[in-house]
Amino acid sequence: MAQISTVISRFYNDYSVKTPKKLKLIDAYLTYILITGVVQFIYCCLVGTFPFNSFLSGFISCVSCFVLGVCLRLQVNPENKHQFAGISPERGFADFIFAHVVLHLVVMNFIG
Amino acid sequence: MSKISLLAVFIVSIITLECSQASVGGYFSENDAKKFTDILNNGLKQQEDVTNYYHAARGLSLLKKPIDVALSKNACSFLQKSFKEGTPEATFKVLNAWILLKCGGKLHNEAQVKNIKAVLEDKASSTESVRYALEVLATIGESVPNAGKIAKNIQDKLREDDSLPSLGHALHAGVLLGNEGKFVADRIQEIVVQADEIDGKLLQWEGGLTTTSLIITGLMRNSAAGQHLNQKQVDKLANYLLSRKTVPSPKGVWALLEAAEALNSYALFPVCITIDGEPFVTAEKPDLKIRVSNLFGGAVRSKTSVTPVVAQSATRISDDVVVLSKQSLNPGTTQTEFILPLKLTPGHYRIQLTAGSNTQSVESRVLGPIAVQSLEIGLMDADGSSAPKLNKLQHPQKLTSILQGDSSQHLVVKFTLSRSVHQAFIRLSSQNKEIIFVGEEEAGKLYKVEINLGNELSQSGDFDIELILGDSLATNSIRWNLGVISVSLPSASLSAKTARGPKPEINHLFRVADKRPAEVVSLLFTALTLSPILLLLILWARIGVNMGNFSVLAVPFHLGFGGILALFTLFWLKLNMFTTCAWLIPIGGFTLFFGHKLLSSIASGKKPEKADK
Repeated sequence: MAQISTVISRFYNDYSVKTPKKLKLIDAYLTYILITGVVQFIYCCLVGTFPFNSFLSGFISCVSCFVLGVCLRLQVNPENKHQFAGISPERGFADFIFAHVVLHLVVMNFIG
Repeated sequence: MSKISLLAVFIVSIITLECSQASVGGYFSENDAKKFTDILNNGLKQQEDVTNYYHAARGLSLLKKPIDVALSKNACSFLQKSFKEGTPEATFKVLNAWILLKCGGKLHNEAQVKNIKAVLEDKASSTESVRYALEVLATIGESVPNAGKIAKNIQDKLREDDSLPSLGHALHAGVLLGNEGKFVADRIQEIVVQADEIDGKLLQWEGGLTTTSLIITGLMRNSAAGQHLNQKQVDKLANYLLSRKTVPSPKGVWALLEAAEALNSYALFPVCITIDGEPFVTAEKPDLKIRVSNLFGGAVRSKTSVTPVVAQSATRISDDVVVLSKQSLNPGTTQTEFILPLKLTPGHYRIQLTAGSNTQSVESRVLGPIAVQSLEIGLMDADGSSAPKLNKLQHPQKLTSILQGDSSQHLVVKFTLSRSVHQAFIRLSSQNKEIIFVGEEEAGKLYKVEINLGNELSQSGDFDIELILGDSLATNSIRWNLGVISVSLPSASLSAKTARGPKPEINHLFRVADKRPAEVVSLLFTALTLSPILLLLILWARIGVNMGNFSVLAVPFHLGFGGILALFTLFWLKLNMFTTCAWLIPIGGFTLFFGHKLLSSIASGKKPEKADK
C-alpha cells in the first residue's frame, strides 16, 4: 500500500516536473471532458436514455472531443516531434479548432 | 399377388375393349332414313345435274321409299330433254334413273350404243369409262363384244394408273366381264391392305366416302373378296359408314346407302347391337330394350347367327363391381328387340352384350327414387353455449311456427337420405332475393347445412327455407318447402355496408413521449454535467495559464470562434441547417483568416525559442 502511494507520488512529481505546461493544460481539458462524459453516462444508467439523440450527441461529442484532445496532445508533445515533422503545434491547434467546428455543427444538428 | 391379379384385370379389360371396338354400335335409324329421304327428294327437284336424278332415285329405292309421282314426272321430262351423248358415267346414270323413275319407253338410240362400244375399244379409256360403258351395256341388255380384249385394256390401264378409284372401277368392270374379268381377284388383297384404320374403330379408303363406297360395292360384288375381308373389317367399315351419316348431298347419301346395302347383303354382314329407346331403366320399368339388327335397323338376315343374345356381364362403373353375368335376353315384341331386365340398385352400368359371335358394350343407367328418411331443422347459438333446439319434420310437412333467428345464431338443417345425391341444397329466399347453401355429406347419407345468419345474410326479413335434392340417377327430384325463418339483424351491420362516400379521417398519432424524470433530477444532472468546467478552470488556474501571448491580434479570432459557437447554439435553438451554413461561411472565413494570422505570428515568435530547446 505504501509502495503504491510512493509510486503514485513519484509519478505525480515526475508529471508535475517533467511535463510541459502546455500539455498540462491539455490534460486538464481532457480530464474535464472525461468527467463530463462519465456524468452523462451515469445519468443514462440511472434515469434512462429517453431523448436518445440528445444523450448520444452529448456523449459522442465528449468522446470525439476527447479523441481530438488526445490528437492535439500527441502533436504538441515535443517528444513526438520527429513523428510530426513539419506540423507545428500551431498547425495542430488550428486543425483542432477546425475539427471542433465541424464536429459541433453535426452535434448541434443531432441534439434535436 | 394382388399386383398380378390387377395386371390380369388390366389385360382382360384391354382385350374386351379391343373386341367391343370392332362391333357396330349403331344403325341407320328411322330419323336418319327420314333425313336421307328429304335430301334425296331435294335431289329430284333440282334441274342442274342429270346424274343427281340417278343418285336420288337409286337412294330412295335402297331406302325402299316411294318416289313422288309429280317429282318423277318432272324428272322424266328433264331427263328426256337433256339426254345426249355424254360420258359413259352420265349415260349409265341417266338410263338407270329413267328405269328407276319408271318413265317408260326407250331413251337411248343406236348412235349412243355405238359410242359406248367405241369407248370400250379405245385403249386410252380410263377404267371408270370402261366400267360405266359395261354397266350401260348390261342395263340395256346388250352383250359385251370382245370381253378378252377389254380385260387386257383394263389391265394395261391399271399398270399406268393404280390409284384407288381406278382400282375400284376395275373391280366393278371385272365382275361385268364375267370369266374374262377374273384378273381383278388378284388385286383384291392389295386393295384391302390399303384401307386406313382410324382409332381402331373405323376403316376407310383414302379419298373419302365416294372412294370408300366405290370400293366397298366393288368388293362385295366379287365373290373372291371373302378370302381377304374378315368380320372385324366389315364391322369397322360399317362403323365408318355410320360415322358419315351427316353427309348433306344426294350423291353422298347415295354413296353411303349403296355401300351400306352392299355390306348388309354381304355374307359377313355387320350386326348392330344398340340400346333401343331410352338408355335408362327405373324400378317401375326395369326392362332395358336391346336392338339386334342389320345396318338399316331391320331384322338380321339369318337369325341363327345372332342367337343367343346374352348379357355376358354388367359392371357398375363407379366401383367396377360385376352385378350380373351370363344372363340371356328374352325376345321382345319385334324380331329385333330383346329385353334385359335390370333390377339393380341405382347407378351407371356397363353391359357387355353378345349376339351370336358379335359383341358390344353399352352403357345404361338405373334410376331410382330418393327419399328423405329424417330431417331436423332448428337454431343454434353461434358460440354453442346452449344445446340447439331442433324440430323433426317428415317429408311434405312444414314448420308449424316461424323460426326467430338473429345474428348470433346459426340455422342448422340435418337430413338423412336413402342414398347419396349429387345435389343437395338449402335455399333461403324472400321476394327477389335468394341465397343457396350447399349441403355437405357428413357421414354416409347424412347431410348437414349450417348457416351463420349474421355472416351470410345482409338484411333482416322473413325467408322461406327450401330443401332441393337432385341427382342424375333420381326419378324424383325433391323441392320441399320447410317453413319460414324470420331473421332480425342489428341495423348497424347495414349502415356499415355503405360503400360510397368519404372514408373516416385518419388522425396521425404521434408516439407518446416517454416518461421524463423529475425536474430536480434533470437540473441536478445538468449542473453535474456543467460542473467539470469549474474543475477545468481550477486546474488551469493551478497549472497557471499563460496569458502572456494574448495580444490584440487574438481578439478577432476569439470573437470569431465565439461567434461560431453562438451560431451553433442558435442552430440548436431555432435556426435550420441552411441558414446556419449560410452564416457559418462568413464567420468561419473571418475566424480562419484571423486565426491563421494569430497562429503564424505566434509560430514565428516561437521559432527561435524552439531552436534553443
